[in-house]
Amino acid sequence: MKLFDPTAPPVPREVRLAPRPAHLRGLRIGLVENTKFNAAPLLTKLGDLLRDRHGMTVALMTTKRSPSHEIDEAQIAALRKQADFVVSGIGD
Amino acid sequence: MTDLERRNPERRGEGEQDDLTDPAALIEAYYERGWTDGLPVVPPTEKSVRATLDAAGLRGDEVLGEIAGRNTVVTADKVAINVVLSGARPEYMPVVIAAVESLCHPDFSYHGPASSTGGSAMVTVVHGPIAARLGINAGNNAFGQGTRANATIGRAVRLVMMNVMQTRPGLLDRATLGNPGKYAFCFAENAAESPWPPMHVERGFSPEQSAVTVYASNSLYQVYNQLAATPEPLLLCFADALANLGVPNVKGFNQSLLVFAGEHTEVLARSGWSKDDVRRFLVERARRTVADFKRATRLPGDVRSGDERTWRHVFEDPADILVVCAGGRAGSWSACLPGWGKKWTRAVTTPVKEKMA
Repeated sequence: MKLFDPTAPPVPREVRLAPRPAHLRGLRIGLVENTKFNAAPLLTKLGDLLRDRHGMTVALMTTKRSPSHEIDEAQIAALRKQADFVVSGIGD
Repeated sequence: MTDLERRNPERRGEGEQDDLTDPAALIEAYYERGWTDGLPVVPPTEKSVRATLDAAGLRGDEVLGEIAGRNTVVTADKVAINVVLSGARPEYMPVVIAAVESLCHPDFSYHGPASSTGGSAMVTVVHGPIAARLGINAGNNAFGQGTRANATIGRAVRLVMMNVMQTRPGLLDRATLGNPGKYAFCFAENAAESPWPPMHVERGFSPEQSAVTVYASNSLYQVYNQLAATPEPLLLCFADALANLGVPNVKGFNQSLLVFAGEHTEVLARSGWSKDDVRRFLVERARRTVADFKRATRLPGDVRSGDERTWRHVFEDPADILVVCAGGRAGSWSACLPGWGKKWTRAVTTPVKEKMA
């Protein structure tokens, strides 16, 4: 008898990590907020800490459509333009 | 490598298994590989997989959908194998495909409802003439056991989720409790006894076009009222069920599915209430005060003056209340199936592409 494999593994896609910054001082931060209850307060606090400790600037906080959705292209474009460093958080 | 694979290295994948001549052993082999939903499966054969593909007029390598965030690509051959495993008949395949296409639609936003701790059932509602043709139950015990089409179409959808979309308990299915509808949840709209246009017609399809709506439901509440002779008291019971303090989403962007059955449908029909009348009433009356939510810590902070008179409505928009008829004629039961919030996921209706003769 033959077994039929009903599974399909994920199809790999190439993901390239952005170059890591050599230092944090003076960099512009982009924050990606996912709409979970504590996401914005958590990221705001994190932005404050990075500003105080490393002299960074919070350039923008952008909000995803929902936690389920990927960030959209317009948001990625804004982050590319305005930020050197991005933090994405969940804050459930 | 899993423990199973270490124990049975020769049984890792598919292929000829000379030792599997006993049907029970074959079923066990599918268990051993983690390819079932916990119930025994119907082992596929070349013939049954081929017949299932043929019933939809598909080649095995045809791509039916993709879910970008999970790197998932769904091909017809894998769906066909899972349809056979579920015990479905080949002719159910076009319905399962429409359900899979709904799951892959960007508006459904699969990752959240499939993987979240809430553990939703993917409710599959079948509309149009194919429902009767396949014998999908829309009447007595429509949500329950006893009808092959309902049981196996719903099961096939979940098997595709598990086996093709990596939605496995403990991995990318993180349900805290789950719910029994995660095994299978498929029923047909009872258009014959509905006083209203079918849901798929409301959503832009012709009555003759068969279609499937997939909707992520947290739970199923049966709503009882035996004395209501007019819509208002009956619908107050729905409003209360929809606005309970444990409802997942208190921010007002919900989507919910209401299923009217039996005597409740008659009450609404007799009074001449349209679906929109039902929706308008529930948008207004499905609500709690901010004070209620704060006392239950569903909203943060202390109760302040004004909170007792400030209302939070469960729905922003009447269109977020999905209404269908199903179930038997007798009885004072209907149901509401709270969803996930329309920003996170939305019910998606997909036409059934039946094989051209």
